Amino acid sequence: MSFEVVAASRLEERRTTPWRLVINTGLQMGGTGLALAFVGILSMFNNRPIIVGLVTLGYATLGLLFFVAGILVGIRRPFATLSQMMLGGGVAGTIAAAMVAVLPLVMSFVSLRFIFLALDKPLLDMLTFSVKPPALGIFYLLVLGVVLGLLGVLLVALPPHIRRPLSGGVIAAGLAGLFQELIRPILANSSVTKPLHDLLYTYTGLKLQGAVIVFCAAVAFIVVRDLTGDQVAAGYSRLAPSTRRNIRWSYLAAAAILAILFPLYAGNFVGQVLLMVGLFILMGMGLNLEVGVAGLLDLGFVAFYAVGAYTTALLTADSPFALAHLSYWQAMPIAVLASVIVGIIFGIPVLKVRGDYLAVATLGLGEIVRVIVLSDAAAPLLAGAKGILQIPRPSIGDFHLTTPVSLFYLALAASLVAAYFAWRLEESRLGRAWMAIRDDEDVAQALGINLIRVKLLAYGLGAAFAGLAGSIFATMLGTIYPHSFQLIISINILALIIVGGMGSLPGVALGAAVLIGLPEALREFGEFRFLFYGLAIIAVMRLKPEGLWPSAAKRREMQIDAETTAVQSASVTVPKT
Amino acid sequence: MTVASDSQRQAQRAWSGRLGKLHRITFVDVVLWGLRVGLLLLVVVGTIATLWKGTYDARHWFDFFMFGLTIGGVYALIALGYTMVYGVLRLINFAHGDIAMTGAFSAYFLARSFDRTGFLDAYPVTATLGIMLLSMAVCTATALIVERVCYRPFRHVATLAPLICAIGASFVLQHVFRGMFGSNIRSYPDPEWLKGNVDFLGLSLPAVQPMVILTAVAAMIFLYMIVQRTKMGMAMRAVSEDRDAAALMGIDSNKVIIFTFVLGACMAGIGGVLYCFVYKQIYFYTGFLPGIKGFSAAVLGGIGNIPGAMLGGFFLGVIESIGPPLFLDGLGVPAPYQLRDLVAFTLLVMVLVFRPQGLLGEALAKKRA
Amino acid sequence: MKKKVLWGVSAIAIAGLLCSASFTAQAETKGPVTDDLGVVEIPKDAPIVIGGYWVISGPDTALGLDSKRGVEIAFDDINNQIAGHSIQFVVEDDGCNAEGGQTAATKLATLPNIVAVLGPACSSAATTGAPILWRAGLTNVGTATTAPSLTAADRKPDYFGYMRTIYSDKDQGFNDAEWFYKELKCKTIATIHDGSPYASQLAKVAANHFKELGGEVVAEEAVTPTDVDMRPVLTGIGTKKPCVLYFPTFVAVTAQIVRQAPEIPDLKDTHMIGGSAVLAPGLLEAAGDAAKDFRITNVDISPEAMGAAYPQFVEKYTAKYGEGPINAFHAQAYDAGVILAKAIEKVAKKDDAGTTYIGKKALHDELFSTKGYDGISGPINCDEHGQCGAFNFAVYQFTNSDPSTFKTGENPKKIYPAK
Repeated sequence: MSFEVVAASRLEERRTTPWRLVINTGLQMGGTGLALAFVGILSMFNNRPIIVGLVTLGYATLGLLFFVAGILVGIRRPFATLSQMMLGGGVAGTIAAAMVAVLPLVMSFVSLRFIFLALDKPLLDMLTFSVKPPALGIFYLLVLGVVLGLLGVLLVALPPHIRRPLSGGVIAAGLAGLFQELIRPILANSSVTKPLHDLLYTYTGLKLQGAVIVFCAAVAFIVVRDLTGDQVAAGYSRLAPSTRRNIRWSYLAAAAILAILFPLYAGNFVGQVLLMVGLFILMGMGLNLEVGVAGLLDLGFVAFYAVGAYTTALLTADSPFALAHLSYWQAMPIAVLASVIVGIIFGIPVLKVRGDYLAVATLGLGEIVRVIVLSDAAAPLLAGAKGILQIPRPSIGDFHLTTPVSLFYLALAASLVAAYFAWRLEESRLGRAWMAIRDDEDVAQALGINLIRVKLLAYGLGAAFAGLAGSIFATMLGTIYPHSFQLIISINILALIIVGGMGSLPGVALGAAVLIGLPEALREFGEFRFLFYGLAIIAVMRLKPEGLWPSAAKRREMQIDAETTAVQSASVTVPKT
Repeated sequence: MTVASDSQRQAQRAWSGRLGKLHRITFVDVVLWGLRVGLLLLVVVGTIATLWKGTYDARHWFDFFMFGLTIGGVYALIALGYTMVYGVLRLINFAHGDIAMTGAFSAYFLARSFDRTGFLDAYPVTATLGIMLLSMAVCTATALIVERVCYRPFRHVATLAPLICAIGASFVLQHVFRGMFGSNIRSYPDPEWLKGNVDFLGLSLPAVQPMVILTAVAAMIFLYMIVQRTKMGMAMRAVSEDRDAAALMGIDSNKVIIFTFVLGACMAGIGGVLYCFVYKQIYFYTGFLPGIKGFSAAVLGGIGNIPGAMLGGFFLGVIESIGPPLFLDGLGVPAPYQLRDLVAFTLLVMVLVFRPQGLLGEALAKKRA
Repeated sequence: MKKKVLWGVSAIAIAGLLCSASFTAQAETKGPVTDDLGVVEIPKDAPIVIGGYWVISGPDTALGLDSKRGVEIAFDDINNQIAGHSIQFVVEDDGCNAEGGQTAATKLATLPNIVAVLGPACSSAATTGAPILWRAGLTNVGTATTAPSLTAADRKPDYFGYMRTIYSDKDQGFNDAEWFYKELKCKTIATIHDGSPYASQLAKVAANHFKELGGEVVAEEAVTPTDVDMRPVLTGIGTKKPCVLYFPTFVAVTAQIVRQAPEIPDLKDTHMIGGSAVLAPGLLEAAGDAAKDFRITNVDISPEAMGAAYPQFVEKYTAKYGEGPINAFHAQAYDAGVILAKAIEKVAKKDDAGTTYIGKKALHDELFSTKGYDGISGPINCDEHGQCGAFNFAVYQFTNSDPSTFKTGENPKKIYPAK
């Protein structure tokens, strides 16, 4: 192991007094509140009801900040007695509220809007609860801070069997209100669930009774699970191993079937999103071969996607640019082949380039493809910015795959086939050769691995997956434009395999679902959805740096790392203290 | 006699050695050589054709060169941030371009108020310094937050997680600033002293060009002095050489890393403001492209290498400016300027093909592959 | 055990299949209304749901956000009420690309009770989005999508639900070339576009027609939307000394060209002409002093609309969003909002319980027959292919570089046709 641990493990002993901790907590939460206000998120949230006519998301967020201040004080436990803790929580909440309250105070005297666009009149109204005079509103805000801070501490102090259902219920009701635009259409568009929709929601959001129902349901669910959970587990462990295995498998099978059939029920939008997820899973698996297995960092992966899409378009479209009028099924293999060829052509110049240099070289190659596709110079062949229109949808017999849901099943089938190939490839001799060059290129060469062949195969086979995805993408849209093949796609694919867990196939699927599905789920936040997306990526990486579903090998590695770190830091820190 | 046969034998040996080498030429080498020769041919033919056509005279070429140096100076300043952070952390700070944007965007409001009050015209140097200082301060603050959130937790974990975190941070920075300052394209003030032309070696230049180039060069010299002459700079070099050994020598790598981020952010702050003085426009997405270009420039020069980043920046800027008219115009390519990035990235790839370690970089093989 | 679970799951799945709603429009009768494409039923206190899809994230944000705000102000002007119902305006982000348009349109089509859809700003998003909406029986009023194919006479039935309040590139490019040749008496032209479908088609149409008229096209250049250094391309064009330089690009690129052109001595006598995508204070903000005297071609807006309605609009915009209009085409969006609201008012039928019924086909027909509305973006007269914004040619010239003086009619001032 390296000695890095030595430098890292110097224990910084922070001497904090309990009150300083309380003040810090309050300041952190207040600062967050101010930031939300400055960026305009608070204003936007305020237009969004959580419970119609009662609470807007803006107030809920603000309240949550004060509440969290209390909770944090409760968790960090600076004081011994409950009354002191409550006092601390109240103070933290008040400080947070006071910090936020500075804003309406300043805003009621001067307008800061010539710099900060978000600080407008509606925000002022919100922060002062639309009461006159504003000072009274600011007083309310402070009172809110005190009360919620106290409640936060109380929540932590409650015994777990009460706390868990309570917080679960509140979270469930909050989510039901927050994601109403996503949930409502799914419920309302089917006659079976329509009554449930009417019971819970109005046309703009969650009803009060809906919130109460969701809250109660969640509470009941958690209570029942808490009460019976142990018994069930005990009963389960008493079963014969074979029965247990059967149950486990049937659950898995049921979950898989449900997941597969879900788009049919949930409709075209969910189908469309899952279709995009499917395409990114395909590309993710391809890139995973390059980056995760063979260790070739590639930031120009979108090029192969573009090649697949454009080949399909040129071979099938009903447009003056078309080279042929094949059916989709004839064009798809050609598109994949074209991507493989381009992949190998790309691979040749960068064979000797390593590490981060390779990332930049491939980034350059990807950009080159995009610029060429967009350019006027290639426009007579590739249509330039105007795009290629009228790409036909595939059909099986008389059945045309026109809806997103039907295309989703095409993507699903393609992903499953590709996943099988990827899995077999990883286990094959070639896969081991890839892993060898990933771990140490020089040693691999010394072991007699033909670097050139192996690397070019990695590029070519990786590209095949992207070509397949591009091919489906072209037929899904029916028209393609160069603007669909930006650098950001390459970055997204790389991000998804790392978020999922490098080198792990289920990780790729999970990563794609998170990174592609998340922006769709975040549509609620309009202009700010990519802000929340960015925050979510950071959060995932902070919480699980090895990815959401790391490969078994990686998991072992991390564990060993963690253990050695612990042992070393323990042994090093002892003499220092 | 014997002497002659000896030399003969030697010659023979050399010849067979060469033959042996020939034996190892693979089709890849052939393709690579084909690529090199092909591109070189294209460049030469294009250049000759352009010059033959005579669309541009010497004056134009000089202008192109100066445009290139100007933007190159900005690229170089941004590239420095990438390269220094890479040096100590071995990681690409993907949010660096956006960090530059945050400073320049915040400083816009100061610049605007300076302009409206006439301060900018009355005291050009003081005002510009003030604007740059604000920009540097904001960049430093942002960079430290990014370091704190995206890099520090992963310092001892060998993953690509920080890279992804930085991508997330880049999204967050863009949208936070869009939220605060709006999606409008803002325009930096255009003071009188920047509008005119200056004479330089008998050629007249827009005043903004020498101002940007000189400021950029001055900032770089200052940075180089810090890195070479100060204790902290020495510590920085030590850490980038070998972090473990540096730690054993009693260097606080935490301090060094923070210092590196601060230095990089200051350069980005200056770069961002200069960029805005040349191109005037700023909006929340401004940072992305110079970021990518700065990153490319850093790699072009050899990542981790400070003079390399400077050279890479200027080189990229000049090629971007001269390349399309010189290589493509003569070949009759329609709309050559649209292919500016094509020229830049082709060049980048070619440099990496010829020199996989960048212009001034050291061979990477043993360090990290 | 296993089998039982599987059977159960399959049963649930089949039930789900059977009850999953189909989104294809079909004839139905609800209350007093029968309609070929279906009827939207809005109970007494429910809002009217109107969809919108524009680009509101990423580098093109300004383009879509501006249109979205235009519609929001149009709705504010009618107190967010149509036919006694409040308006619920649901806007989805399309990212200004084809896949984004498809996703956004699919999402909008699933909204319960949605009546019609406004947007988008990018033709690529409309090309994939409009057919999906039409399949669900929804009329789509485009606000900044100028691609000729979208309202061409031979468009596919998929696009029959699509109409737009903006002109087609074909008309503008054609008229522009006429003006360059006949009024400016130019014999040579150079064009610059930014690789967007909008600008590239417009530049192409103008150049082609200019050629037909007998003029010479000396350069057809292109840059990228993120380019900041226009001097090389301008120097290149300068060597050909065109009589007119036409660049119908968006705000950022146009501002750079306008700023940097004076530095190129060869372009001293060239007429610099921009397109209607920059009719916004945003241009003055971005281009600074160089914008003074800069000319653009645009729709001839009626004096009444320019005199009263538009300045008020800008005032409301600035008050509401803290910045002046950030792009052009907010006017088209505003007009789209207004004609949609009017059409809904007209076709909406109420029963005794206060429930409103809106026939989708009826709404479609009503919208397509909009005639003689004097919009702030120019006169709106729809034809059977959904082309509502005609391009009555006019030229405007900026007279002052201060964004706060922006007022269509004065800054920029109409200089052609002279009254």
